[in-house]
Amino acid sequence: METDALPTLFAITEDELDLNALLEAITLPTTGAAAIFTGMVRGYTESGQAHQTLYLEYEAYRPMAEAKMKQVAEEIRARWPSIQGIAIVQRIGRLYPRTPTVLIACTAAHRNTGVFDAARYGIDRLKEIVPIWKKEVGPDGEEWVEGEYFPRPGE
Amino acid sequence: MPHVKVLVFATLRERLGGAREIEIELPPGATVRDLKERIAQTYPVLAENMKSVLTTINREYAFDETVLPDGAELAMFPPVSGGAFHLQQP
Repeated sequence: METDALPTLFAITEDELDLNALLEAITLPTTGAAAIFTGMVRGYTESGQAHQTLYLEYEAYRPMAEAKMKQVAEEIRARWPSIQGIAIVQRIGRLYPRTPTVLIACTAAHRNTGVFDAARYGIDRLKEIVPIWKKEVGPDGEEWVEGEYFPRPGE
Repeated sequence: MPHVKVLVFATLRERLGGAREIEIELPPGATVRDLKERIAQTYPVLAENMKSVLTTINREYAFDETVLPDGAELAMFPPVSGGAFHLQQP
């Protein structure tokens, strides 16, 4: 099947993530498996320094973020050629606990062709090169969360 | 390139009181490193950020030695933190 014909969807949005609609958009007649990862706002962090989160405030460098999401999708296709559809969507703005904020979904004909790894790669990569930031607001103050990854030339 | 505009995000934007871009005077042939040094001088509130900031030229990551092309879209921001959780090793 030609890659051009395969659905690839990427977006930054202020709207609620519609997981069913996103899955529908990357499902082909030949699809038999989908791995859907969604990151959510955690209200209580129990590991490490335990704390409460009231909400997260997301911000993006929108045109670059969408371009880098496209790049992540291309990287997924280069590594797992059996992947059919890819959706990468980040919701921005003020988001409260229990809310999905990001979705990475990959579809394939069968589950044993890399869909799990592809979705995992997608979220890991998003957190490295896609320009999105979040500020965590808790009962005692607020703090920008900064990543640790410094992209190399060509990334 | 006497005069450039740089888009700023996250911590940088907030430290500037919400400004979405800054303007800087630079000599022709200036590099990303020159830009960082100039910003640290002109906006002391950003001096600390310049040590770990990421710079992009036309929406691609750029590096200290890169010469700033005329008319390019420049942006600066901290290492990214999308998704929904901290990267924490167990």
